[in-house]
Order: sequence, then C-alpha cells, then structure tokens
Amino acid sequence: MHSPFLTPGSRSQLDNLALLQLRRDQTIPTILQLHDEKNGGYKEGKVTNTRFGSFPHITLCDQPWGSQIIASKVDTGSRGRTQKMKRKADELDSSTQAEDKPSPQTPVAASSGFLHLLYPTPELWTASLPHRTQVVYTPDYSYILHRLRARPGSTVIEAGAGSGSFTHASVRAVFNGYPSDDQPTKKRRLGKVCSFEFHAQRAEKVRVEVNQHGLDGLVEVTHRDVYEDGFLLGDPKTGKSPKANAIFLDLPAPWLALKHLVRNPPEGTESPLDPTSPVYICTFSPCLEQVQRTISTLRQLGWLGISMVEVNNRRIEVKRERVGLDLGNIRGTVVFPKSVDEAVERTRALEERAQLFRATQNQSDGDSTPAPKAENEAKGGQQESEVPVYKQGRVMTRSELDLKNHTSYLVFAILPREWTEEDEKRCREKWPSNRVQEPQGPQKSKKQLKRESREKRDLQRKEQSQPETESQKE
Amino acid sequence: MHSYVRPNQFVALRLPSEFTKIQKIEPDSTVFLGKFGSFPANQIIGRPFYLTFEILDDADEKDGSCLRIIPAAELHAETLIAEGEGDGEELDTNEDGTPMRTNREIVDDASTQKLTWEEIEALKKESGGAGREIISKLLESHQTLDQKTSFSLAKYMLRKRRKYMKRFTVLPLDVSILTNHMMEDQGAARIMELRDEMVGLLGCWGNVHHGGDASLDEAIAAKPNGRYLVVDDTGGLVVAAMAERMGILYPHDGDEYEEQGSSDEPKKNEAEQAHDDEQPPTESSTHRPARPAHMSASGNSITVLHPNKQPNLSLLKYFGYSQDNPDETHPLHKHLKTISWLQLLDPNADPIYSEEPEIIPESELYTMKSNKRGAYYRKRNRWTRVQSVVNEARAGEFDGLIVATVMDPSSVLKYAVPLLAGSAHVAVYSPSIEPLTELSDLYSTAKKTAFINRRQQLREQKLQQSSDQPDANETELQDSDLSELMAEFYLDPTLLLAPTLQNSRVRPWQVLPGRTHPLMSMRGGAEGYIFHAVRVIPTQQTIQAAGNLSRKKRKVVTQETPTTAVDSGSGVDVEMKS
Ligand SMILES: C[S@@+](CC[C@H](N)C(=O)[O-])C[C@H]1O[C@@H](n2cnc3c(N)ncnc32)[C@H](O)[C@@H]1O
Repeated sequence: MHSPFLTPGSRSQLDNLALLQLRRDQTIPTILQLHDEKNGGYKEGKVTNTRFGSFPHITLCDQPWGSQIIASKVDTGSRGRTQKMKRKADELDSSTQAEDKPSPQTPVAASSGFLHLLYPTPELWTASLPHRTQVVYTPDYSYILHRLRARPGSTVIEAGAGSGSFTHASVRAVFNGYPSDDQPTKKRRLGKVCSFEFHAQRAEKVRVEVNQHGLDGLVEVTHRDVYEDGFLLGDPKTGKSPKANAIFLDLPAPWLALKHLVRNPPEGTESPLDPTSPVYICTFSPCLEQVQRTISTLRQLGWLGISMVEVNNRRIEVKRERVGLDLGNIRGTVVFPKSVDEAVERTRALEERAQLFRATQNQSDGDSTPAPKAENEAKGGQQESEVPVYKQGRVMTRSELDLKNHTSYLVFAILPREWTEEDEKRCREKWPSNRVQEPQGPQKSKKQLKRESREKRDLQRKEQSQPETESQKE
Repeated sequence: MHSYVRPNQFVALRLPSEFTKIQKIEPDSTVFLGKFGSFPANQIIGRPFYLTFEILDDADEKDGSCLRIIPAAELHAETLIAEGEGDGEELDTNEDGTPMRTNREIVDDASTQKLTWEEIEALKKESGGAGREIISKLLESHQTLDQKTSFSLAKYMLRKRRKYMKRFTVLPLDVSILTNHMMEDQGAARIMELRDEMVGLLGCWGNVHHGGDASLDEAIAAKPNGRYLVVDDTGGLVVAAMAERMGILYPHDGDEYEEQGSSDEPKKNEAEQAHDDEQPPTESSTHRPARPAHMSASGNSITVLHPNKQPNLSLLKYFGYSQDNPDETHPLHKHLKTISWLQLLDPNADPIYSEEPEIIPESELYTMKSNKRGAYYRKRNRWTRVQSVVNEARAGEFDGLIVATVMDPSSVLKYAVPLLAGSAHVAVYSPSIEPLTELSDLYSTAKKTAFINRRQQLREQKLQQSSDQPDANETELQDSDLSELMAEFYLDPTLLLAPTLQNSRVRPWQVLPGRTHPLMSMRGGAEGYIFHAVRVIPTQQTIQAAGNLSRKKRKVVTQETPTTAVDSGSGVDVEMKS
C-alpha cells in the first residue's frame, strides 16, 4: 500500500488518484482507471472530458508525473453529449464505456488542447476537492500545523473532518512511514491522524477518500459526536487512547470538546493525550464570541501559552502593463502617451501637420488630399514596435480580486506534561543542585566571564527598551 | 518529541520581559538570567517543557533547590479573577449600531463559570509566592473596599509585580521558537526576516515531508522519495525548518520511541564527539557500532546548494549539529548533503571532485604510520563522498526546490529547475517582492508562447538545413541554438506551471475579558513573499517517444500559439483553444 500524496513514485499508476491540471486553479482530481463501472459508451474506456478536450485514462496511466498530455479524439456519442450538457463541461469526470469491449481502444490525438498530469499534494487537493463544508486553506493550515508541532511521528486529533482538507495536510506532516503488518522490531512511533466527524455521510466520504488515497492505517476516521463522547478510538468509554500530541478543533463550539482533552478525565476513562509529551492545541472559529469562550475554558483547564491570531493571506497578480503610443495594437495595451515627452512630441507633430495642412489649403484652396494622410500618420506611429510583446511595458503587481480577508480566528495553547511531586523528587535526586560548580569558581575563563557580563548587560538593555505594554502572551 | 529537558540541549528561556534567551543546558552549571537572577541548570534538567519557574530568594535547605514551579491556576490568576468579577461588561455594538452579544453573556454561560470565592480560596491554597500574596491582599481588602475597586487594585498589583517577578518559562528550542527569537532580536536580517508563518507556508508549498522508510517499503525503494534541493542564505534556518518537517532535525529524531528516564544521561562526552569529520569509518568503528557514512542517505535527504566553498549553516548548532564537526549520531550527518554551485555546474573545476587520490594497496597501507594511513583514508573518503553527492545532484530527479536567497532567484531557478522531477514543487521566499515579480515575468504566458515559437523556428531551420539526411535528430537542438534561446529568454519558461505569488501575515490579538482587540503594534520591516510553481515536462519531450502521433501533436502546439499571443500577460497558464 502506498499513497500518491506521500510517495508518488515517478509515474502515474492505475487505481491511484491523479490530478489533471487544465490551468491554474482548475484541477480535476480523478482515480485513474481503464474502465468505468458506472456506464458505458466510449470505445476508449474511462474518459475524463474537459473544456480542453477528452482524455481517455489509457493516455494518463503509467506516464511520468508532470507530463503534458494531449487530448484525444473520442467519439462522445449521444449519451456522452447529453451528459455534457447537464454538467459544467470542465468539471465532468464521468464516462461511458462499451459493454463488451475487453480492452480500450488506442485513442487518437486531437487538437483541442492538453493538460498536465500531477501527483496530488494537500495544496492541490484542497484547491480541487469536492466541498462538503467550509474547508481550511493552505495559508491557515500551514501555520496551524507548524505551530502545533505536527511533525513526522506525531499523532494528531482532528475534529470535525468536514471535507478532509485539513486531514490531508496533517497526514503529510506526521507521516514517517507506512504501518506494516509484521510489526517491525523497532519501536519507532509512526505518525497518525485520528479524525472525528459526527455527520454520518461526511464521515463515510472521508473514510472512502482515505482508502482511495492509500492512507489507510495513517488516518483513522471515527463517526462520533466529540462534545458528548470524546476522543478515544473505538468505544467512547473503554476505547484505546490515540495518545495525541497535537489537536485541531474546527467545530462550532470547541469549548464543549475541551473537557475530554485533559490529563485525567473525571470519569476515570483514559486520557486521549500523550502522557509523555506536551500537547499543542489549535481551535478555528469565525467569531470572537467563540474565541472568548474557548480561551476562557482553556484557562480554567490549565492550558498555557494561550494566544490568538488571524492569518491574512493574499495572492498577487503579476502582469505587464503596457502604456504608450508606439506599442502595437495588442489587447491590453493602453493607447496613451507613456510620458510627458511622448505627449509633447505627439502634440507637436500634430500641430506641425495642421500648419502644413493650413498652408497647403491657403495656397491651393483646392481639394484636400494631404489632410487625411497627415491625420493617419499622426495617429499612428503605428509601425510595429521593435520590442517583443513579452518585454513591453512595465511589470506590475496587484492583489488578486477574490481577496479573502478574514477566514477564522486561530486560538493556540499548550498543555505541558503532567509533573507530580514524586516526579520532581526523583529528578532532584538524579540531578542534585549541590553538584553545581560555584559560578565564581576558578575554572571559569576570563572570556567566559566577559561573555556572561555582556549577556547580562544585553538583557538589561532589552528589558529597559521594552515598552510598557500589557501584552497577554502567556 | 520534546518531552523533557535533556542535558546539553539548547533551550529557550522566556523571561518576564517576553524576551527569549537561548541557553545550552549543561549539567552542573549555573544559568544566569541577568537581573532576574540565576539558578543551577540541574534544577531544570529532566523536567517537562513549558513549565514556568520562579526563582526563590532562599534556596531549600535540604536539597538546595531554588526554583518553584508556578501552577497554571496562579499563572492565570489575574484573568480568572477578572472573569469572575464580570469585568468587561461594556456594551459592544456592531458597525450598524445594533448591540452585540457582550462578554458578559459569555462569562455567565453555564459552560464557563464564574470564579467563586471558594475557588479563589482554593487557588490561594494552591499557589505560593507572589500570587498568594496578591490573592490574600485582595481578600483582606474585600471587607473595606467595594468589590470593583478591590479587584482593580489586585490586578494592578499583579501586573506591577509580574514585571519584576523572577519568572522564566522553559521552551524547547525548535524552528518556530528560534525563528521568533531571531526576529525579535538583532537577528532578523541574518535570517532574511523570515517570519514563522512564512516558514510554514514555504514548507507546505514546497511539499516538503518525510519520504517514508525506504528500508521497509519496496514501492519506495524503487525510487527514493523525499529528496529536496535547498538554497539557504538564512544561516541554516531554512534547512532546519525543512529538516524538521522531514524528521531529521533533532538528535533523537531517528531514535526509537522512548520513555522518560531511559536517556537522561548525556549522550556522550564532548571530547569523544570531537573527532574529525573525515575520519574513516574503519577507525571509528573500533569503539562504536558502524554508523552510516556521511551524506549517504538515498532518500529523505536535503541537498544544499551553496555559493561559496562551504555553506553557512551555523544555526544548526542549536539542534546539535555542526558542519565543521558533525556528530555521527545526528540524523543530519547522513541526510544533509552539501554541494557548491561550482561543483554542480562545472565539477571538474573542483580538484576535490576531479582528482582522485591514488589507491594505495592494502599491503603497503600496513607499513604506513597510523596518522598517514588516517590521512589517506580521509582523502579517499572525501573524494568518494564528493563524487557521489555531486553525481547524484547532477542526475537530478529531485522532489522539490526550496529557496531563500539574497542572490537573484531567477539564476537559481535557471539551473535548479531542470534538476527536478516532473510534478515537483518549487517554493521561493523573498523578503521583498521585486525579485519574485521578475521571476514571475520570466515564466509569464507570453514568454512561454514566444519561447515555444522561437524554438520551433530554430528547429524548422535545422530541419531545412539537414534535409538531405532526414530523421537524423530532427528535433534535437544543438548547444548553439539553445544558447541563443537562453540569451533571449534567460531560462526555459516551459518547465514551470502556474507560477503564483503570495504574501501572508499573522496578526496577533489580545484576548482578555472586556479587552479583546488586535495587538496595537506589529513589527515593521520586510513584508515577505512566496513564489510557487510546479515542474512539468513539456510535451516536446514526449513527442519523440510517441512515434507516429508526433506530427499531430506538434501541430497542436503551433496551433495554440496565436491564441496565446493575444491573451498575453494575463497571468494565467498557457491558454488553450477550446
Ligand atoms: C468546518 S467543518 C471542518 C472542515 C475541515 N477542517 C476541513 O478542512 O475540511 C466542521 C465539521 O465539524 C463537524 N462537527 C460539528 N460538530 C461536531 C461534533 N460535535 N462532533 C464531531 N463533528 C462535529 C461538522 O459536521 C462539520 O463537518
């Protein structure tokens, strides 16, 4: 078992997820298959139809990842066509297939277009996945996972799974090998995501995706109301603890789930937290009221380092802006003087022509052939520019139009390991304070002393320069 | 997993001033915190991270302990009291003037309870030191002052007190904390003002992750996964961040899952560690089990491309790894490879690569003095290592490219992008936008189209010239043609798909009862931008393999051209006729 998200290998493989990228922000996820069980019609087997043409999967399988693939001529047939009318053409990933054709026909290249065959990543998946709920996007989850210290070997609890966007990002973060049946002798801890969702269909859909994406054993989906029943795997009361190091709650009322995320649950059930490590939590809420309730509960439950942030992300468009009279008549060009000099020059030229025209008119008083000619020349300067289009104008940046300013508020907190009096006592015996060499001991070099006093000075200076703010970074 | 403070580990100490101090925790030493005081390192070794300690004025008579762990309730005392008081009972209104749900409602909800006097009493019992004083004062004054005033007074005192309190919190020194530490100090320029959110974004867009365990999985063994190219002018912060994502940053990363108590001992003493980088494995194996050779990992590896003879990765020292004196047991020893641009682009110009040290037969080696023999092995090993690292890098097929450089990023991409496998991701960080807009422009749709046309032209010229011998390398362009293309386009714009530019900024808020708002001051300085694109394999290369389809396919490419030219500069990917 392997996942194209984690170990894609060098070529696309049958029965695995592949992403078909038509253009930026237009990616179709599809499972590569020669035949499609759903319906028949195409001689070529399973076909993905896009607005840039049809792509029989036989042309997509076993190709080097990243390949540019040319569309094929496919007899869409009447069934294919009616289907196409119903749905938006470029999102159509349906197919029709001949009933008793044993193997798909070799397709013929068409001139309609091409696509790029990419292996899936959480980023591309997040941008193309079928939305069932609001999802967490890359700017947020990249920061969340970084602050949650979700690293290879960690165990992440996630609730609710929703559309599985965060699920895919977090499994990549914690992955450090596939679980194998014959338990290796090594006790190395394998990264895992424990995902909870109380909406039955959503839970099922995520489970199917996990399986299709080769993530079985790395992601465990539990259908569960976590407010009520907490985070143990299997039975809510007697189940196994996930021993989580990191928790992400994307729920309407995260504070209702927090009571289960403690070191010593009241009813004597096992804690879902890893007893040997600090636990990092992040909650994701759109409203300040939710944030305040969450933080208040976190404080009462003894979480530390509580902080709240908002991530502002924007995408920036880069393009050349062409302004000038001497640039060719190309779309996007602003026909306008690019500078005062050009403006003056042009007006002067027009003026001179006009004078010339008046002069000739005064002289001959006859029919006026030169005038239109002069007009033409003046307007133009229209001779093709020397500079190729891609070098014309000036490179400009601006924020893209679909600017999402606010997604959600992110609350972070940390729960340290439990530390009992006995633990402390044992530690004191093991690391006795009286073994410490006196700070002013003779073994200290001059250099060392100097450094220390410098450090002291630095600290004091910093302390003084620290403004009198009441920032509440605990 | 950072579960407890290990001896000889670097940690970050957060002081009452909110500044962090990086400190190596050496057993039996004293840690100085300036005016906040000092304490014996042994009193935090073995303890969990994220605890806050108070330095007591008088050490315990019995065991000399002078630190007290401050319980969470005491740390939160001020806010818990404020919440209990129902402070912040102000009527907030929405922009349109309608009253908003107030904090009061939240505090009164059944799910979050007011702090009762009993609870404060319990709190008082639990806590010691300053917190206790405050709370008892508060309770005393309760009789005489009205409630509101007494609370305000208590809060005022707590705040005042906290400023001078001798408290510190022990944090594990990881990439996030090191990044914040460098940003708050004079180090910002050293790390190219790379903020924490940019670190996360860079790693995600670069798709950097653990490559799996090649030894266990056959599917992975077929093609080593997780080979990343990194260009890092942040002194090693980017390398550290990527290594953290790949599970090769921390000395105990490769270890088996361990419980507290098993490895509290210092790993080995410093003297033993101080062995030569080039020491032959044969010698070290006499007192240690054989370790995998330096830079020998086939997958899950970082290859650093550096401009000078040696890379500057000095920040890795905080994670227990030094370039000059690498610890053989550290995962980076095997998984971090370094190669200079000269070695990559013109390896034969580097004598270490090109001049193989002569092989001395075993029999002769026996007669040599041990230091001479050592020197011989060192040279041989270094040559073998450089050979394999350079050859492997030049063979390419990397899974990602991560760049944070003060050089021109387009020069990096020009040479590094061809070394990527198809579908690999490229992520470039820059503190300011200009180098990245130039980069985006080099990969613009208009450039792509013009490049394809020009190349086609050159090919057709070629075809006419060699019409007497058809089929001979019909589409192969000679170096001279390529250099003509490069002179015009600088790099091959068809190798990257969907270039995107973005910027991200995290805005911290203060959340206190009745006083919730974005923090007033944020750091100025660089905005920070990330360029992302995907390496693709343009169809020209597959045409030849596809045989009789090639002519039709080529026609497609030429056909699409006019459409693209019209739609130039729109920032979208190559436009196709539909
Ligand atoms: C916004 S969505 C999560 C989206 C997800 N983070 C993603 O990136 O795709 C919230 C999900 O939480 C689920 N949910 C709400 N309350 C829950 C509860 N008490 N227990 C489990 N799941 C719950 C909802 O059904 C919904 O699917």
